[in-house]
Amino acid sequence: MRRWLLVALFCVTVLLFAGIEDSIVQVGRALEKNGINEVRYAVWGSGDPNSVLRVLGIVEAARRINEIWAKNGINVKVTIRETRYELDFTQMYQEFLSKQPLGTAGDFLVNSYVYIAPLAEEGYLLDLTPYLEKHREILNNFFASHIEVAKYKGKIYGLPQDTEARPFYIRKDIAAKVGLDLQGLDEKVLKGEFTWFDVYEWAKKAVQTGASEWGLIHRRGTAHPDLMQFILAFGSKLYDPVDGKLVFDKEAIYKWLTIEWTFAREKLLPSDMMAWDWAKQVHPAIVDGKTLFDIGGTWYWTEWQTKDYYTDPKTGQMRGLKPEEVEQWFYYTLFPAGEPGKKPVTLSQPFMWMVSSKAGAQNPKYSALKSVYDELAFLIVAKASDPDINAIHSIISAHLPVGKPSAELLASKEWLDKLYNLEVDLDPGVKEKIAGIVKATVNPINAAFLSKVSYMLEHTNFPPVHPMYAKLAAIFAEVVDYVLRGQMDPAKAIDYAIGKINADLDLKAGVKIINDIPKDWRFGGK
Amino acid sequence: MKGKFSRKWELWAFLAPALIVVLLFYVVPLILTVYTSFTPLRNWNIQRYATRLVGLYNYQKLFHAITNDPSVRAVFLTTAVFVLCTLTVNVLGGLILALLTFFVDKKTNFVASTVWLLPRMSPIAVYGLVWYYFFHGSRVGTLNSIFLKLGLIDRPIAWGQEFVPYGPWSVIVFVNGLVGVSFGMIVLSSAIKSIPGEFVIAARVDGATDWQICRKVLIPQIKWHIMYVTTWQLLSLLTSYAHTYLLVSWRLVNKSYGTPWALYVYDLAFTGVFDQGLAAAAGTLLVLVGGLLGLMTLRILGFGKLMVEPRGDI
Amino acid sequence: MSLTDVEVRSKGRQILYSTVLIALSVPVLMAFFMLILSSFANQMVTNFDFSKVTFTMRNWKLLFQGRIAITGGLRENVFLYLLNTAIVALGVASVTTTVGTLSGYAISRMKFAGRRFILLTMLMLHALPGSILIVGVYFLYRLWMPTNLNALRYFSFFYVIVARAALEVPLSVWLMKGFFDLLPWEIEWSALVDGASRFKTWAKIMMPLIKPGVVAILIFGFLAGWQDIIYVRTFLIDKTLATFIESNLEAEMAYMPLLAAAATLYLLPTIFFYISSQRLLFKVYAGGIRR
Repeated sequence: MRRWLLVALFCVTVLLFAGIEDSIVQVGRALEKNGINEVRYAVWGSGDPNSVLRVLGIVEAARRINEIWAKNGINVKVTIRETRYELDFTQMYQEFLSKQPLGTAGDFLVNSYVYIAPLAEEGYLLDLTPYLEKHREILNNFFASHIEVAKYKGKIYGLPQDTEARPFYIRKDIAAKVGLDLQGLDEKVLKGEFTWFDVYEWAKKAVQTGASEWGLIHRRGTAHPDLMQFILAFGSKLYDPVDGKLVFDKEAIYKWLTIEWTFAREKLLPSDMMAWDWAKQVHPAIVDGKTLFDIGGTWYWTEWQTKDYYTDPKTGQMRGLKPEEVEQWFYYTLFPAGEPGKKPVTLSQPFMWMVSSKAGAQNPKYSALKSVYDELAFLIVAKASDPDINAIHSIISAHLPVGKPSAELLASKEWLDKLYNLEVDLDPGVKEKIAGIVKATVNPINAAFLSKVSYMLEHTNFPPVHPMYAKLAAIFAEVVDYVLRGQMDPAKAIDYAIGKINADLDLKAGVKIINDIPKDWRFGGK
Repeated sequence: MKGKFSRKWELWAFLAPALIVVLLFYVVPLILTVYTSFTPLRNWNIQRYATRLVGLYNYQKLFHAITNDPSVRAVFLTTAVFVLCTLTVNVLGGLILALLTFFVDKKTNFVASTVWLLPRMSPIAVYGLVWYYFFHGSRVGTLNSIFLKLGLIDRPIAWGQEFVPYGPWSVIVFVNGLVGVSFGMIVLSSAIKSIPGEFVIAARVDGATDWQICRKVLIPQIKWHIMYVTTWQLLSLLTSYAHTYLLVSWRLVNKSYGTPWALYVYDLAFTGVFDQGLAAAAGTLLVLVGGLLGLMTLRILGFGKLMVEPRGDI
Repeated sequence: MSLTDVEVRSKGRQILYSTVLIALSVPVLMAFFMLILSSFANQMVTNFDFSKVTFTMRNWKLLFQGRIAITGGLRENVFLYLLNTAIVALGVASVTTTVGTLSGYAISRMKFAGRRFILLTMLMLHALPGSILIVGVYFLYRLWMPTNLNALRYFSFFYVIVARAALEVPLSVWLMKGFFDLLPWEIEWSALVDGASRFKTWAKIMMPLIKPGVVAILIFGFLAGWQDIIYVRTFLIDKTLATFIESNLEAEMAYMPLLAAAATLYLLPTIFFYISSQRLLFKVYAGGIRR
């Protein structure tokens, strides 16, 4: 009984007094008092190979906490017993979903923010709001918009781990050939003066004059997320926060599909685009200069450097691009407005540090000390959000910083030089593991790109956090494929999509269909 | 001799392992799955949803989808074609291979059977990957590059997406067929291996050719096994989707005509939302249909013949 | 028995049949050959355009180091995963074979009420794919799982093996019954008359006679366990090579040749197992009791 009281007292004390370091010390003392000398956690993260700091960041956070405890003479340490990192984040989410109720999932999950809604809904995530109320200063590490998407039903279930934007890439050399003046084009796009009507004209010019094989390349396989920007670029939305329903805007979708249809029919965009192979066709086409425009992501910048997509004309062999070549050849803007009168957009899909509601369940005296373990878990992700960790992650993985403090670090040449020489405060094991990536990706050109492209975050949108969104996105992918191949024209595709929505009772209830197919809309008509 | 009591014991000793395992991991889960079809279970949240009952709601959702989905007609047609064609490929292919391996030397026999086992040995995603590159619709595709080199076609063909529905159907029948062939091959060649040598020698003495040996000696001796393979594969095919899953999701094959019923059910319940209640309802339906078709097949093929009365009791 | 055991074959005929056999096998051979070739290249070899392909051992080096990409990724113990996969596969093979041969014998040889019912049920059960049963199997796992993490790891292995073997039991029972049916009654009769128990007869006399069948079911069981992804991913705490490959087979970010190497590594033990089980198989009966 007394133990309970002590624990409760400590928790109350901890809750009352802010200051992260103080909280860390309090928690450490509480654990020590209860005879716990080691706390073990497992972290699960996923994504592209260079984003290992999604799990190693937790390892580093644990080290920082251990240091604070050592400094205060507390004989406890955190051990990260499992760091699991895989490429397919959807599969990891599925595995987390099935193992969390059994208690065999990771204590920390680093994955896309879209999974916060279903995970929080089922009670699988720890609500971080009370801890953040106490430590408001942590929120200064993040952009407000990104904290918003970490919320579900008003509560915060994750801390932003990284973010990205979807630039519209333009080949500088092909633009020069067709006379497209890139000087200040990003400003024009921003103001809505350069729209998809213009993209069409220039794409036509590039292909017709033979300056490039294609006018436009975009992603394959799925329509989400890149192609959803079309809907937003026509001033529409995917989700209505007022009634919580997904939105199927016939007018915007018709316009988007018409663009796809027109580009494909006029051979500006491959009709089998949705079936192209990433490694053998998509990226090589872009880096070999076979297209004027490309709808891409910020991480393409280093992807082109670390993988062999480019056929060197001198040797005939394939290699990665040099940072100088990427800068020399690629211009980037926001995703242009759909038509005159609309605004440009971009899309972000932040990844989040999430804590399992059963975090630490494998440790001794879990039921008695649950609140302490929970708080410790929060403190770990809070420490993992330290600006320097986020900055390092941003540059080595070509993601964007999640807040001003980390963005500032990226802008400092001095800090970058130190990072390149690995003169940063990191766990030696972590340093060793990221050494190869650092050498391959840290340089002023890449850092400059990240800073320059960050402005897009002010205009960003987030795909809807709605349980039915994935199903809707699958329908979009299907119709885009049919439209590109010429098997369905835009009007027919819309009917087909609506048929599929209505066939699924859950979708039917969760989606509202608005507007009509515009009667006299001519793409490119001025 | 043996008393009745110890005979019963013996019987139970032999049967118990199978009965226990099947009861625990087949029958009980099946009952639980049927139960789940009446709950709104999702996201593996047994704690929250397992005790809620929603009656026939999941079945309603299912039937609504079936009757309203524009691509469902294609799915039914695809399933019928897929099952019948793949079944033929599997059984005939297995038989042909089993017979051929009987006639060749051990080395070739071994190499051939190993090659045909490769589809079964691969992880499913890797198997899909291999055919994804083989049938890729651009110059990258293996088949395209061969045909282009031979001059049979003048532009790359998207095998799974053009000539709908025959293109997609051919691809999925081919890809799945190759997996099933090894089943028939192994079972039938094992059966052939069990035939006493005297029958073959006797037929040869009578002057039979290779083909006549097949027709008069080998095939009749393995009739039971052929029937068994056919029934077995039929039931498997009704519920299989795994091997072509990747081809559809990576857009190699047209979705409506590349999706047999089992894959349609899987998509409905396992992609997007983890609606396990719906999956259970769809699964139950699949089981009923599969069971009915299985029974019908047995009737046609003569179930009685499969059930030879035991001759071993004293 | 293969024909070469009972007569001398003409070379011409042999070559003809071998050619037909190889011709039929060409698509599979080609497709898998390209996969294996890709594991030694810097990109996936998918057509006959070798102009930009360079051959390298890099993928295999990376694989043995447990890497998933050229830069980045964490190191994992691929050999441990291979071992885990082998444990599951061998477990499933043994359970399936044991259960199937025991019950197949009883059903083939003994008259009892419910015999037809059991056979029919087994056949119908086969219509259930594992993905449908998984919810129920998950329920039971949750019900029986121990709380201690170490115990849970071993329990998970055991559970996955038995649950996966269960899916092959109907196949095993039917197949073994079919093989036992082919054996003449006289052999058993003589053994039983001499006072041997049913079990001894089964073990010492009947089993050796159906070696081809046993090998067949061993192979099927092994392959089922080796290839399983659904049960293994849901219940096993450790990783197998299958889950390692599948969780990294991501269309956009994966470095495919490395996965091709992993896939090739995956195929090798199965081929090895197949060879070994074939060796177990052959015993020629030139007459004797099988008249």
